[in-house]
Amino acid sequence: MGLISSGTLRKGPLKPVGELLNYSRKYSLWMFQWGLACCAIEMGVALAGPRYDVMRLGVIPFPASPRQADLIVISGTVTDKMAPAIKRLYEQMPDPKYVISMGSCANCGGPYWDSYSVTKGVDQIIPVDVYVPGCPPRPEAFIQGIVMLQERIQKEDPADRWQGKGWEPIVVAG
Amino acid sequence: MPDDTNDDTVEDGAPNAEHEATIATLARELGDGAVVESGVLGGANPGVASLVVRVRPDAWARAAHVCRSTLGYDYLCFIAGIDWMPMPAADEDAEGDTSAPVQPKEMTFGVAGSEGRFQAFAHVESTRVPRSGLTLKTDVDEQDPHVQSWFATYPGADWHERECWEMYGFVFDGHPNLRHIYLPSNFEGHPLRKDFPLLAREVKPWPGLVNVEAMPGEAGDDEEEAAS
Repeated sequence: MGLISSGTLRKGPLKPVGELLNYSRKYSLWMFQWGLACCAIEMGVALAGPRYDVMRLGVIPFPASPRQADLIVISGTVTDKMAPAIKRLYEQMPDPKYVISMGSCANCGGPYWDSYSVTKGVDQIIPVDVYVPGCPPRPEAFIQGIVMLQERIQKEDPADRWQGKGWEPIVVAG
Repeated sequence: MPDDTNDDTVEDGAPNAEHEATIATLARELGDGAVVESGVLGGANPGVASLVVRVRPDAWARAAHVCRSTLGYDYLCFIAGIDWMPMPAADEDAEGDTSAPVQPKEMTFGVAGSEGRFQAFAHVESTRVPRSGLTLKTDVDEQDPHVQSWFATYPGADWHERECWEMYGFVFDGHPNLRHIYLPSNFEGHPLRKDFPLLAREVKPWPGLVNVEAMPGEAGDDEEEAAS
């Protein structure tokens, strides 16, 4: 039984080590960006624009592969045809991994609530940590989602995460 | 060109001299009453008005050939389908539909008419001659929806016909590779047919245009009313 899965890092003399581990993970989130539709532009503003610049929060965008990523942002409309590809890429990410669903389409289907081709929410195929509402969300809302996710990472016990506990989703309030 | 062709007030359906010549060429080349009906969309102003010609289904592929070789329309804009069936939610027992204008309950047909529910239509343009494009329509049988393919004349028809096939179920005879283009390959049904069941609408009927916010300055705009 390893240090993490035994829970040793959450209590006792090694607790500061666990906190340091979480602190490090929190500020080095490699983010795999999954631009599916117009929300991707808003996400690009939050990532690459000098005004918002999510890298100052320790989020590193554009890893070369999902196998290097800790965080995936689903930004845009998920279609039934694209859903298997999203699932496959999510499964390639190493644990522990986090998902932000950005925009109304990824949250619930949004304006395509009655469409024949749109998946009504990416949470039907992968578990979502943070929902960012909006059509599209403002970059501020997206960055708020990142900050709330970082708070969760700081507080969480990696052992719980790996045992599938602590999946209660965070919703960024409008 | 007569002066009255520049008059914007001329209503739809009055072909100008250029349109007449196009219709005459099509009728001559296709022969034997293959041109069923024609009409003009958007007034008679040259460059704006668009001629719509409906041809018999058995002359559909030949019409494409005439367009390209004789009439000089070298660019295929699109091929698409039409389902003239009224929207299913528009019948008497549908509640809460606030669409405006009110959706028709009977089948209504556009310019140049239609025999039945389904039509295929295509728009061609000329890149060499400065003139308005030509829209061709043909009727498609509801029970046996077969249409002649335009692939031999306009290779660009390939993807348009594949899309039309998956969305409306029209079988394009002569198309070399009729398979799904947008939808997943295991998709069943033809989603742009009006009677395609949308599961979400079975649960919650289409609410129409509710919750439409007023534009700034329009009546009903809250901020405007608060300011006044």
